[in-house]
Amino acid sequence: MTARSVPTDRDVDVVVVGGGPAGSCAALVAARAGLSVVLLERGPFPGSKNMYGGVVYPRILDELIPEWWNDVPIQRWVTRRSTMLLTETQALTVDFRAGAWGAPPYNGATAYRPDFDNWLACHAQAAGAQLITSTTATGLLRDSAGTVIGVRTDRPDGDLTAHVVIACDGVNSFLAKEAGLYEHTDAKHFTLGVKETLALPKHVIDERFGVRGREGVDIEIIGATGGVNGGGFLYTNLDTIAIGVVLKLSKLGAQQQRPEQIIATLKQHPAIAPLVQDGELKEYSAHIIPEAGLTMMPKMTTDGMLVAGDAAALCLAAGIWLEGVNFAMASGMYAGQAAVEAVQANDTSAVGLAGYQRRLSDTFVLKDHRKLRRAPALVLSDRVQHLYPGMVANVVERMFRVDNPNPKPGVRRIFNQERKRAGVRRRDLLRDGWTGFRSFG
Amino acid sequence: MILACLKWVTHPGEPHDERFAGISPADQSALEFALVQAAALGLGVTAVTVGPAGAEKVLRDALACGAQRAVRIHSAGTLSSAEVADALAAAAPAARWVWCGDYSLDRGTGSVPAYLAAALDAQQALGVISVAWQGDGVVATRRLDGGRRELLSVAAPAVISVEGATAHLRRAGLGALRAAASATIDVVHPAAPAHIDEAVVRAYRPRARALAAPLGEQPLDRLRALAATGAATATRVETVTLAPPAAAARIAAALREWGYLD
Ligand SMILES: Cc1cc2nc3c(=O)[nH]c(=O)nc-3n(C[C@H](O)[C@H](O)[C@H](O)COP(=O)(O)OP(=O)(O)OC[C@H]3O[C@@H](n4cnc5c(N)ncnc54)[C@H](O)[C@@H]3O)c2cc1C
Repeated sequence: MTARSVPTDRDVDVVVVGGGPAGSCAALVAARAGLSVVLLERGPFPGSKNMYGGVVYPRILDELIPEWWNDVPIQRWVTRRSTMLLTETQALTVDFRAGAWGAPPYNGATAYRPDFDNWLACHAQAAGAQLITSTTATGLLRDSAGTVIGVRTDRPDGDLTAHVVIACDGVNSFLAKEAGLYEHTDAKHFTLGVKETLALPKHVIDERFGVRGREGVDIEIIGATGGVNGGGFLYTNLDTIAIGVVLKLSKLGAQQQRPEQIIATLKQHPAIAPLVQDGELKEYSAHIIPEAGLTMMPKMTTDGMLVAGDAAALCLAAGIWLEGVNFAMASGMYAGQAAVEAVQANDTSAVGLAGYQRRLSDTFVLKDHRKLRRAPALVLSDRVQHLYPGMVANVVERMFRVDNPNPKPGVRRIFNQERKRAGVRRRDLLRDGWTGFRSFG
Repeated sequence: MILACLKWVTHPGEPHDERFAGISPADQSALEFALVQAAALGLGVTAVTVGPAGAEKVLRDALACGAQRAVRIHSAGTLSSAEVADALAAAAPAARWVWCGDYSLDRGTGSVPAYLAAALDAQQALGVISVAWQGDGVVATRRLDGGRRELLSVAAPAVISVEGATAHLRRAGLGALRAAASATIDVVHPAAPAHIDEAVVRAYRPRARALAAPLGEQPLDRLRALAATGAATATRVETVTLAPPAAAARIAAALREWGYLD
């Protein structure tokens, strides 16, 4: 650990708000560089208040915690990824298995947030950051010029001044809004994620999902969200499974449906029911997701302050991908690096902190978002949600149906018939195909 | 010196995970009373706990709330109430006031305060539901059967154990919390206890009650007496019409006959 600097005109060099993946990585980097860092978390311990689907992709940690896989508290290493297209009675699954993902350096893993977040925060503490829990940042402190100079907390004598505030307070960040970094927020940019955690004996999970030992499965689902635009997921932990749905807020309100009903319907689907049967409900949780990617991103920097992770809407939600934790860790890390640079150069204005935006732009964090900027809208569009799954499933059903004495029909003919039956115009199909190709291709 | 005894308990479902460990609301109340009394009397509070290094978290929280000193009596195993009390008394023999919770998170017997009072040769007021300050002393209210209350006038040295809802522990200030994170915690190692009884944690069983042997010449009589649970013989129903003095004398005679009065 480097010798800690002692700021004269502020309580600390850096205050990081939020002990999620973004906050802990920011604190870790800044503390490792010798800055004095306070990491504020409103829960009794990091991760205690956090929920997500369940899969982390910690590759970015190679830069921060070499051989992180040796002590990261995970449930299972994801060695099987499936994408399911569901209609009410049909299911089309693309299933991929990679043995290599079950050995170092691994790819993704299922993990519980109270374990994973706490582990990351412990690394930040080991680097010298001071973690203060059960403490909520309630607002920003500013000097007469409007520069952010710290945060106010809900504790007595609760003001904490700092050269740089890094807001990692998650989706709907009050600090980023107070700083004026969001021009506007719109409910249609958010989805609601709800999840049930169901307990099953490990051997039952192993049998049902065709895995062994620490191998795990990640299933992403399109369709079967009760007419509400969104998607589903099903992940395996050691002796629980996580099943949930991500729902477009505006549609959920309009359809007057309750999210728990939608999960219940998903659990009854003939392709899902045998997987979740007899699972004992252990936990039900819900959280919103900043789903709109680039469209909703705030300004990342202002004088004395940076914003990272979900607070900066840096969550990638693009159908077959729901990745937020890795984007949070990376953006937190880059925010920490920019803060170190700025404090060392004695310039923590927006100009001094500009290294943050540069790092985001030069790396996967914004590159992926730019590349996939049309994907969220495409995936959540009515056609992808309500027309294409049925059309594709019907095509496949007819391809595999043996209708003797009739000869096998050609795929092109089936496709055109089913396209017409589903009411899909060729023009829309081509346009969506092109958008999809440009995003995912 | 004022002592606040805080029992650090791990969660029964997660016994090895310190994130879920803590102290009971009763211990929190005890700490609050200690801090209020210390401010009034101009004394300092020493927070003390018996446990492994992980237990220091509750001591740091106590320091952040205003305790002056924190002592951890090192113990990795399970000690009996008497051993805990001996260790606490040895760590703070000069304590004038000792505040404890009436129960811990693991719902122990609540007997440590009584043992501690004995070890310190101090007065005791246990299971207290409210506290009033009277000069240098304390008026403690205890619950009695039938909704009645007992008021105890307590003077130092004394051990007081309080119920959970009696006081609300103050919220530590941010500066104090930060300072407490690096404050020194004194660690003392108790003299080797007579024995470490791993079996003291058992499922709750109501205590046995001593019952008089059944009376009767013959075994059958004794069996009858047992089967009748004594109710028929012990509490004969008798309706009499008497003047008040005679009625009072009759009641006293019946109580004497049943063994309630000497
Ligand atoms: C249903 C659902 C499923 C998801 N599935 C996945 C998935 O499988 N894989 C994946 O990679 N991502 C997933 N995500 C996204 C992922 O959870 C987020 O992108 C990620 O957690 C963002 O990390 P963060 O550190 O920015 O914010 P958060 O994880 O939200 O952490 C913010 C932290 O700040 C604290 N905090 C907030 N306000 C304050 C305050 N004022 N003062 C002090 N502390 C405060 C909170 O308690 C919290 O600890 C999912 C999200 C949802 C909702």
